[in-house]
Amino acid sequence: MGSLLINQGLEPGIPPEYWNVSHPENIQKIHLDYFNAGSDAVLTNTFGGSGMKLSAHKHGNSVEKYNQKAVELVKEICPDDRYIAGDIGPSGAFLPPVGNVTIDDFYENFLEQAGFLAAAGVDFFFIETMVDLKEAEAAVKAAKNVSNIPIFASITYQKTKRGFFTIMGNSVIDCVKTLEKAGADVIGANCTIGSDEMIDLISLISNETNLPISAKPNAGKPQLHEGKTVYPTSAEEFSVDLHQMVKGGARVIGGCCGTSPEFIVRIKEKL
Amino acid sequence: MSFSEECKSAILSGDISLAEELAHKVIHEKLDVNEAIDAFSLAIREAGDLFEEGEFFLPELMRSAEAMKAAMVIFQPVLEEGKEDRFRGKVVIGTIEGDIHDIGKTLVASMLTAEGFDVHDLGADVPVKTFIEKAIEIDANIICISALLTTTMVGQKKLIDQLKEKNIRDKFKVLIGGAPISKKWVEEIGADGSAENAVSAVKLAKKVLED
Repeated sequence: MGSLLINQGLEPGIPPEYWNVSHPENIQKIHLDYFNAGSDAVLTNTFGGSGMKLSAHKHGNSVEKYNQKAVELVKEICPDDRYIAGDIGPSGAFLPPVGNVTIDDFYENFLEQAGFLAAAGVDFFFIETMVDLKEAEAAVKAAKNVSNIPIFASITYQKTKRGFFTIMGNSVIDCVKTLEKAGADVIGANCTIGSDEMIDLISLISNETNLPISAKPNAGKPQLHEGKTVYPTSAEEFSVDLHQMVKGGARVIGGCCGTSPEFIVRIKEKL
Repeated sequence: MSFSEECKSAILSGDISLAEELAHKVIHEKLDVNEAIDAFSLAIREAGDLFEEGEFFLPELMRSAEAMKAAMVIFQPVLEEGKEDRFRGKVVIGTIEGDIHDIGKTLVASMLTAEGFDVHDLGADVPVKTFIEKAIEIDANIICISALLTTTMVGQKKLIDQLKEKNIRDKFKVLIGGAPISKKWVEEIGADGSAENAVSAVKLAKKVLED
């Protein structure tokens, strides 16, 4: 979604969620392209739609409007046998010593957003790109509190010399155990890591849990060519890697930064 | 435990009150301030190495930098009186307009401060104009501009272009940072460098001022 909005002229500094009201036809077209490509579920355009994140963009008064509208846009075109995933991304704030917010701030932040998404009618929550396990845990608990719909919780890891960790130092096993306990129904990984490196990560997660696993890698690490951002992994290579992840235990798969509906088409062909 | 070992332990465990206590001890007992700062500096570099090795993560590195900063605040008045010049340079740092990601930038600012730079952190979503005004105002040596989004990276170019237009490009070293930054981008826009992480950023800042 984000990559496509930038290509369509989303200006720096404008939260993508603003486009739910300013450019609804663009957002709806992207969702439709994904359904047509074969997606079973699409994510609402609400990744940065929590109060804390929107406030940083000075759009803090529009949390309800942007989230509600985002869900409506998918609902209008969603085929009966497909699903609407309520996307929830990080708040953008950090606990001490890195930042100065509290776990309660996280919880309240996600309680509000999850509440609007559930009321508007999403089929499940997709909490993603979390780099701090404590924030992810707060988001899962908040989502759990507002609704009984399933909760997918996806963490962003980095590959270090000692293995996979979040930038806060949370290990794979810590993340899996904590999210399970908090009430997540699906556990996974997304962003930062390319599809080639995520194959090993998914196997590791699979060793730690019996819950279904989600995998949503980037199309490699972004590079800049003549002022344009290019993700090096092709749809073909990506779909081959995802096929490996399915063998390694992934049950929910998709693409993060640098992917497009074409990637979904290729993935469907391989499965 | 020797005094320098204590300093090291205070920094690596991110113990702000111990770091302050040790710094006060140096002042009260008239110990060698330079030696003490060397011990602290060595420790903060070790924290940096641990970060690069994947042993330390963001919270540990941040705590170490905070402990180092706390000690430096106590040494500052003595350094200002004395002849010892530990002052490394003035830095204006911020995340470019349109971009609200400030974690990487904040970490670099902390590490630079810990290493003795005089750092003016403008925060996130900072207009090009503000960077330049502040740099002129404080007579900065280095301007550091962070951009996490490929859409906001162009702001880094804009800043350098405006410095050129104003004929003040040579007054400052311009370092750029952010996940999508490549060596090629550094060359394309004519910046003075970029670093992989906060630890390398400090090394780079020292290097460009020596050149």
